[in-house]
Amino acid sequence: MKREKKDEEAGTGHPFANLDKTAVFQNTRAFSETPLNAKKCRLTLTQICYMLQQGETLGRTEATECFFAITKLFQSKDAALRRLVYMAITELCKHADDVIIVTQSLTKDMTGREDLYRAPAIRTLCRITDSGMLQAIERYMKQAIVDKSPAVASAALVSSLHLLKQSPEVIRRWANEVQEAVSHENPMVQYHALVLLYHIRSGDRLAVNKLVQKYSKSGLRSPLALCYLIRISAKLIGEDDSGSDHPLYGFINSCLRNRSEMVVYEAASALVHLPKTSGSDLSTAVSTLQSYLSSPKPSLRFAAVRTLNKISTTHPEVVINCNVDLEQLITDQNRSIATLAITTLLKTGGESSVER
Amino acid sequence: MNLDLDSLPLYSVKGIAILDQDGQRILAKYYDQETFGTQKEQKEFEKSLFQKTSKANGEIILLDGHICVYRSNVDLFFYVIGGSQENELILVSVLNCLFDAISIILRKNVERKTLLDSMDTALLVLDEICDDGIVLETDAQAVVNRCALRPEELAFGDQSMHEIGKSLFETARGQLKWSLLK
Repeated sequence: MKREKKDEEAGTGHPFANLDKTAVFQNTRAFSETPLNAKKCRLTLTQICYMLQQGETLGRTEATECFFAITKLFQSKDAALRRLVYMAITELCKHADDVIIVTQSLTKDMTGREDLYRAPAIRTLCRITDSGMLQAIERYMKQAIVDKSPAVASAALVSSLHLLKQSPEVIRRWANEVQEAVSHENPMVQYHALVLLYHIRSGDRLAVNKLVQKYSKSGLRSPLALCYLIRISAKLIGEDDSGSDHPLYGFINSCLRNRSEMVVYEAASALVHLPKTSGSDLSTAVSTLQSYLSSPKPSLRFAAVRTLNKISTTHPEVVINCNVDLEQLITDQNRSIATLAITTLLKTGGESSVER
Repeated sequence: MNLDLDSLPLYSVKGIAILDQDGQRILAKYYDQETFGTQKEQKEFEKSLFQKTSKANGEIILLDGHICVYRSNVDLFFYVIGGSQENELILVSVLNCLFDAISIILRKNVERKTLLDSMDTALLVLDEICDDGIVLETDAQAVVNRCALRPEELAFGDQSMHEIGKSLFETARGQLKWSLLK
């Protein structure tokens, strides 16, 4: 501790430089003191998480001992400390044994009144749960998915997505709740619910078709959810091996008029990647991308020029209209953008425009 | 049962990193175990990422088949890494959320020293933005609210109180020295 302070004053190191693993683990003894020194415990937990993300490796016994020390902290009422406890458990559960010991404490927090605890408790609990135990908390998970608090609902939905790999049968039973969550007013909940609903149904083509039909008409508000719906639609069109005559083509096309640039770009890029589109089908998408070429935002210029570059390999004639804007980008500050602009021009305009 | 989890990318974010002006890692989280499974791979990627981005004032780069969006402030570099098929603008929204949440917490002093002083909350911010590669929240204020900030962090920290006390003492001592010298 003293040495760390000195480092800080000298301006060379920082409170987390040269952490000694053994010394940090010694400090976990403070976790079982009464009364608890919350500040000290927070620092130790932060140091543990910091060490792990810096790539420190832990032995099984070490991790388990540390894990068991942390379980004592569930006694604390300090919210900031508690939040760190959830994170530390998530980090340690891959390395430690018998982590299921915290199941009960976490279930209690997940069903408690404090929203600040519920969301992270759900996420942590789902990390340590296996298929057998999942059934025991199934009832609470279903409730959490339709919870009013966006943090809680999102936590439950995202955790379910992770669990889908190990226990698909259980998660599939939650389809009704998930469907209800798609109409949540919070954009992130809407997005997480849509992604989960798609993955629950992805084995059944008819069900996926229905899902897209329904939500392409109802007008999702979340840009992220819309982006995902565009991706699903593009996949369906591709699988049907059709192009602009597909019923969902109209939906993707209509997204070109969305208010969010994210959605517009996703739609344009989806149209470009469809296997069977003619040059004329792409004209609206191309003119939208063209308007992005002069955007002050580098990532928007990058996105546009990257997509135009793709089109120029299959339909160079459609991109010719953008040549003047592309020429401007040759001297772009961002090298990636300049390079993409040049290679695109080589396909559409020939040497003359590059030299100019 | 046929569950094709790979047909549509579920995980948008492959990694998030905050590096200092020497390219040293301050915070980093990688979610793609295939590409960034080992520390060595992560460090090497960070090194080449830093070399390519520290001098250029871009915002986006395509590196080794990954799209990386970035921005810098004083002596810190923020990166969000995604797959080559990812929507760039989604990655930008994650990056902006990360930067804004950190700047709310550090009360706009987004620099290495203040970040290190708030390491606990910074770790939590990362945890609240991305859950194992899935974008969890893109609203910076919501992220900050979920980090359970300590009351003293929102008001006047006891650390800063201590520092003010120290500087007051220092000026008093200086004045005394001067009066003695006279």
